[in-house]
Amino acid sequence: MSTTPRVSSAIPGEPAHFGSVLAHQPAIAESFFALYGRFWGSDVLAARIKEVARMRNARVTECGFCRNVRFDKAVAQGLGEEVVDDITDGYETSSRLTDTEKAVLKFTDALIHDPELLNGDAKAALQRHVSPAQIAELGLGVTLFLALAKALITMGLEPEVMDRTVLPTPAVLEAAE
Amino acid sequence: MTPAGGSAVQAALAGDPVLAEHYADFRAKTEAALDPALVALVRQAVANVHGMGAASIDESGLDAGTRAAIAYARRMPFEHTAISDAEAAAMVAHLGEPGFVAFSVMTALADAECRAALVDLPGLAAG
Repeated sequence: MSTTPRVSSAIPGEPAHFGSVLAHQPAIAESFFALYGRFWGSDVLAARIKEVARMRNARVTECGFCRNVRFDKAVAQGLGEEVVDDITDGYETSSRLTDTEKAVLKFTDALIHDPELLNGDAKAALQRHVSPAQIAELGLGVTLFLALAKALITMGLEPEVMDRTVLPTPAVLEAAE
Repeated sequence: MTPAGGSAVQAALAGDPVLAEHYADFRAKTEAALDPALVALVRQAVANVHGMGAASIDESGLDAGTRAAIAYARRMPFEHTAISDAEAAAMVAHLGEPGFVAFSVMTALADAECRAALVDLPGLAAG
């Protein structure tokens, strides 16, 4: 896995990072950020739940950038580091993660790793704790988390070192509405 | 299960037209940045890796660059961390930097959409 960018920045004066590289394709960038803002701005599924799934994806895909970013809305909803630390193999026995979060993590593992993990019990738990509308939003989120992590990694945009960084949660740009 | 040629994510978002429209736009903009024939081949290659899709790809009439792009796409589902600088550089040489960016996003999205279909996301979202 490379930490040397395989694509240059399209924004003069900025280093290569996901945003500056995506700027090579302005139409894709604009559409993605509108979608991502709408996804995170929706409260059908709580930001904390979305962030739990994003953290799991970051660990499984080995996306260091994703793993070190926190979105402030989820932090405000109580997703502290002691909870994030439990989003690792063996999360099923965590006393800090809720049953809903464990069901969401199993779904996340099934989508990004092995669909067989969503067996009868896991599927029943997911449907007991998460509504169909929430599953739709969760599925979109995990799809985007996975795709963007892999795109980021294969474009060589992994940081050599990175501190944990709390960022503003992506939001809908009013001008885009 | 959604056919490999469709989007399981799009189908799952049927109950949220605004989010569905945003997703469709993102998918369309990503595909529009690339040769439609390459998009179709990449989607087919990725689906084949996941055991989805009907036919395997007949590469006999394809140029070397397209064959390399297909080989690269086949690594995205299970070997994304093993793709080398040299493999990526070959794609940049073939597609140009803007093309490589679109190709990377589209290929990774194709993989994720197959996975969403394999967990029957549309069925789960329908309740």
